[in-house]
Parts: sequence; structure tokens; C-alpha cells
Amino acid sequence: MITCRDSLELLLEYAEGHLPDDVRARLERHFGDCSPCEEFLKTYRATPELCRKALAAKMPDGFAKKLTEFLRKETGQT
Amino acid sequence: MRLDGTQRTVDGAPVTEGTDDSALLARAQAGDVSAFETLVERHRNRVYGLALRMLNSEADAAEVTQEAFLSAFRNLKEFRGDAQFGSWVHRIAANFALMRLRKRRQQGETLESTLEGDGDQPSFNERGSLVDAVSDWRDAEGDALDAELRQAIESAAASLGDEYREVFVLRDLEGLSYEEIAQLTGASVAAIKSRLHRARLSLRAAIDRFYEDRST
Repeated sequence: MITCRDSLELLLEYAEGHLPDDVRARLERHFGDCSPCEEFLKTYRATPELCRKALAAKMPDGFAKKLTEFLRKETGQT
Repeated sequence: MRLDGTQRTVDGAPVTEGTDDSALLARAQAGDVSAFETLVERHRNRVYGLALRMLNSEADAAEVTQEAFLSAFRNLKEFRGDAQFGSWVHRIAANFALMRLRKRRQQGETLESTLEGDGDQPSFNERGSLVDAVSDWRDAEGDALDAELRQAIESAAASLGDEYREVFVLRDLEGLSYEEIAQLTGASVAAIKSRLHRARLSLRAAIDRFYEDRST
């Protein structure tokens, strides 16, 4: 029988659809019977998208100006 | 539009021809520097973001961004049109960032590549059953991101060991394939997957703590 520990070890492969059919089916049966693991799976899946939103960065204006000046100098435009 | 906010004009009229990346690239390869400037303007935030998340240093990220675009400019002629300019310049930037991380490691400037203890890993009882309760994440479903949550994620990402953070940035933020990451980092696909899984668990735990604290 598959345990929660086994299930969570396989989350990455499961979330990316890389598991063999029989293992995936066993895992899905476990998630169906185990609400803590099902909740854990949902939050594990949501994590990359939340991180993408949180970690999007905009180059500070001062750096952008310096980048322009640097590239113009290096490419012989000044 | 150029990097300095002005727009290229001919006899006072704005030039609008060929404004997608591939058209701009073709013009840049033919020697039109303003076309290259437009490409830089379009991609600089994401290139900078990639470098910032990998290096945890604004100054280093700015330098890597400069190096990446200069390298792209110098190698424009070698670039073939079978890839996107954005993907190409991102890989150049990732390579420069990884070189800096390696140099830091050689100089002993980085922390050991371990995660912050087992607190970020799920807990199980002796029968292998999960004992952690998951917090209520319903607030995370909207488009807007809470400023405090953003800060919690930034802090958790910054505290990942370099080897975990670089894999997480390249896979989950940049969308590179495992094979591409293996090529860039020299690590095996199995090692990359293992690091990514642990990084995701650690970040998930940070987000879960944020919602748990909020509910109390």
C-alpha cells in the first residue's frame, strides 16, 4: 500500500505527468482517500505560479539608464 | 522605441516596420543598432529578474544583464533564427550568472547548498502518514499578490542554497527543460529533479507558514 510519505516523494514526477500509468493510478487512489495529501498536492502545484508572480522583477530605472549607456559605449554609438 | 525613450523616425515620422522580435533581430543583424536597443528594452526586465533571483544581488544582476546583452550583440551574426531572441539571451544570462555562482563557491562566499533544516519538509508519523495540516490558501487564487506574501516568498527563495535556487529559477521561473538545465549546470537530470522537488517543498512550506500565521 502506498503511504503519504511515498506519495509526496513522487509529487514532482506526478505533477509533471512523468509517472508510469500504474504508479499514477495508485497515487491517484491514495489522493482520493487521503484529504491531507490531496490538499498538499494542490498547494505544491500552486507554488511555482505564486513564486513566478512574487519574484517577477523590474530593473530599477537607474540600472536601465546605465545599461543603455554601457551598451552604447561598448557598441561604439557614443 | 529606443532605450532612452525616444522613437526612431524618418523625416519626423515614427518608424513602425518590423517590430516583432524576429524582424528586429534581422534588422540588428544587418547593423541597425536601434533595432538591437529595442530588443534590449523589451527583454531587460526579465533578464535582470533571472540574474537577480539566481544571484541575490542587485549589483551582480545588473552586471550580468550588461554582460549578457553585450555578448548577444557581439554574437548577433552567429545567432540562427531557429530560436527566439528572448530564449537565447536568457540562456546567455543564465550562463553568466552560473559562472558567478561557481566563482563565489570557489572563493567560499556562499553558504552550503543545503536547505534550512527539515522544518520545510513534510512530517510523517511512524506509519508514513502525513501529520502536517495544510493552511487555507484560498486567498492565493486571485491575480493580485499580497505584499507580505511576496516578501515571504522572496525571503524563502533567497534562503535556498545556490544549487537549489538555480534549478528552481531555471525550471520554475524560466521554464527551461531538464536537459537544458543539465547542460548549463553540469548536473544530472536526476539531481536536478531532486533539488527542484526540495526547493518547491521549501517554498511551499514558506507560503503555508504565511497563511497559517495570517489565520491566527
